Amino acid sequence: MVTDKYKRVSGDAVEYEVFARKTRGEPLHQVGSVVAPDDDLAAAYARATYDEERWIEMTIVRKDHVIALWSPGE
Amino acid sequence: MPTAAEFEKTIKSGELIESRSEMTPEYLRELKHTLIVSGDTELISAPAYYLAAKKAPSINAFMTGIAIIQDELAHAHIAYHILEELGEDQEKLIFSRDPKSFRYPYAFDVPLDSWTELVVANGMYDQAGFCLLGDIHDKCSYGPWKRGLNKVMAEENFHLRNGRTWMKRISLAGGSAKDELQRAVDWMFPLSVEWFGLPDDLKMHSTQLEYRLKGLTNDQLRQWWLSTVVPYCEQIGVKVPAHKETRDGKEVWVLDYPFPCEFDAEEKRWDFGKPITWDDVLARWRARGPRNSEMVAMFQEEFHKFRKTHKNGN
Repeated sequence: MVTDKYKRVSGDAVEYEVFARKTRGEPLHQVGSVVAPDDDLAAAYARATYDEERWIEMTIVRKDHVIALWSPGE
Repeated sequence: MPTAAEFEKTIKSGELIESRSEMTPEYLRELKHTLIVSGDTELISAPAYYLAAKKAPSINAFMTGIAIIQDELAHAHIAYHILEELGEDQEKLIFSRDPKSFRYPYAFDVPLDSWTELVVANGMYDQAGFCLLGDIHDKCSYGPWKRGLNKVMAEENFHLRNGRTWMKRISLAGGSAKDELQRAVDWMFPLSVEWFGLPDDLKMHSTQLEYRLKGLTNDQLRQWWLSTVVPYCEQIGVKVPAHKETRDGKEVWVLDYPFPCEFDAEEKRWDFGKPITWDDVLARWRARGPRNSEMVAMFQEEFHKFRKTHKNGN
């Protein structure tokens, strides 16, 4: 499992995956990711960066909390 | 890591590449190069547009300008973050590179000095970006970038609409406003045409095409751009130096001036009487234009001040 640690001038930061959906019927899907030193800033970055739609739902999750069972190319 | 033959098979099959372990070193290098050009272009458009947005004729217009700049920064973030996942240091890429080593189109180095020039940039430069990125969005073999561009395409469309709506409005106003619009188009149109790079007959081989990092050649992209910009300008009563011709039963857009030709960046003036070579153009691009160092300093200076005063600075 890769821990996605990134160096920033303000200290260490980790990657968060951003999920959202536009309508009630559709599933959540990944719209992108952000790198932040903590959950609050990650939420702020996600909201400001992925504002291309009027999402009815948006969630973020630390990438190193995602447990991959298998991935393409493995 | 795949063998060269395995990799070639994947690329030829139309399958997407999803991780570094599926790439050859040559593909990784070409992908990074393409991403840097894209990230740098989005990033530098922010200071270029900001310096002109300050001349907005109303608060509403200024807010639109700022919203566009925010979009461009988010687009840059997408490209730089992919580079970061591929092992590059994002902060070094943005804050520690020499201004001259940024890889964005020369057009952004020529100052946009008015709201009129900004909206022409939205109508022409963002159309160029729309063609280039739309092609990548459509054809790119690297999955994470292809998906990242969903957001970019939606927003570039909005920038384009802002440019076109304002160009039409200024043209309809007539008088000195329209004269100013025509002067802006006169120098910005040929710069946008140049944006797409060497013509196909001078460019022997494209690794980007081979790796499906893009799908269209420079000339195909240039034709696409001309086919949207020329009719629109004509429709709103703005003159552009290009027209449509039928050649071998196919419609092509033809420039009414020697391409490439001499450009005076300080005067923002093309000399259609002075054809030059592509080596001359490449030398001008490499030397960068009037606003290169000023714009790069706009986002680099504060970072280095912050780093000096911050205890975690690295």
